[in-house]
Amino acid sequence: MGAFAAVLRKDLRLEIRSGQSTIALFALSLLIMVVLVFALNPQPIDRARDAAAALWVALVFGGMLGATRSMIAENENGCMRALTLSPIDPAALYGAKLAAAFAFMAIVEIAAVGLITLFFNLDFGADLARLAPSLMFGTLGFAALATLLAAISSRTRAGDLLLPILAIPLFIPAIIAGVKASEAALSGFPLAAASQWLGILAAFDVLFITLGALLFEHVIRED
Amino acid sequence: MKNKIGTALGLMTLGLMLVSLFMVFEWVPTEADQGIVQRIFYFHVPCAWVAFAAFGIVAIAGVFYLWLKDQIWDDLGYAAAEIGMVFCTLVLVTGSLWAKPIWGTWWTWDSRLTTTFILWLLYGGYLMLRAMADDTEEVARFGAVIGIAAALDVPVVILSVRLWRTIHPAVLITRSGEHGLEDPRMVITLLVALAAFTALFGWLLRLRFQQLRTRTRLTILRREVALIEAAVGDY
Repeated sequence: MGAFAAVLRKDLRLEIRSGQSTIALFALSLLIMVVLVFALNPQPIDRARDAAAALWVALVFGGMLGATRSMIAENENGCMRALTLSPIDPAALYGAKLAAAFAFMAIVEIAAVGLITLFFNLDFGADLARLAPSLMFGTLGFAALATLLAAISSRTRAGDLLLPILAIPLFIPAIIAGVKASEAALSGFPLAAASQWLGILAAFDVLFITLGALLFEHVIRED
Repeated sequence: MKNKIGTALGLMTLGLMLVSLFMVFEWVPTEADQGIVQRIFYFHVPCAWVAFAAFGIVAIAGVFYLWLKDQIWDDLGYAAAEIGMVFCTLVLVTGSLWAKPIWGTWWTWDSRLTTTFILWLLYGGYLMLRAMADDTEEVARFGAVIGIAAALDVPVVILSVRLWRTIHPAVLITRSGEHGLEDPRMVITLLVALAAFTALFGWLLRLRFQQLRTRTRLTILRREVALIEAAVGDY
């Protein structure tokens, strides 16, 4: 637990002092939503659907950037090697990296939800709180997946080009469930209407957090 | 000895393929509703079976590789992934050929089509990883991790996509419990086709696996030669 807290504290402190990932993530999310506003040209009828779509596209691509940056920073100065040499349980290290990625993504998403409300002329108020479960589960799942896969892609020749190729196919079930659940929330349906989708998201999270904790050791080990 | 098994497998594949072709084109009755187009089914289903079996082998080989750390498991997994990708592509292509006259469209986001397509993307990612990384012990570990993650993703994919939409005919077992193949000759033809494709898969897998084993042995020999040369050079 001590190691987990120490690594997480390090990542958060780095981010608070430099702000690099969060600002870049936010800028990218904002631009993705701007592109989608012009591409979809949202009409009043389908506002909730388009807004949910824009939110999830921003989540996936913003999250990818965040995960890549965090791993590149670790590899640049041989920090990853130092971390693997230290007597830290790889599962704790994975948990800390995951928690940090989740925190950055969550901050950016709060801002992103505010933006889509503006861009897609949604009603401020009760709707937005209902978005929280689907976004939280989705972000957790993506952070779990991206933390594991960025450790792989950052060590190949292809680098960050490989991360989307590996991450997006694996994340598709969560995208399907997450967009549906977010759309229901934005359309004003109660949470119970999306319970099946939230169940799939939760199952995805449990599966990939467990998998990441078990396999992270094989990914970061150097020979 | 080794080559005898290979030859036997090859001949068995050839024989079964010829029998299966005869059955599909000459023997089996034409399906009443769909007509001649339905015969692609005897090609489509075995392809799907081989693709699923291959991807299952990728995941199992991945688990064994991470556990036992023996290169033989990585060679097996890599060989199975390549072959699985070929057959997964064939499933999509033959399905598309059938869907055009029957459903009136080449592609639709039905649950089984979507699941197969996602599977294709998953293992495409696996092969891209292998192509983009240097051939080291490291990439074998990465491949094992992706292979396991992809296999575990499949149930969640099926669950979410099925909830999303489905129109694919339930040929083998329908909701009411009866199967869609009304003539026994259809069942026999399907079984022979499945056997033929399984034999083909076994033959191909064996070939590619042996090739990768040879490559692994060559890499080890090269490394040893380099070590000897370095040692000799010191004198």
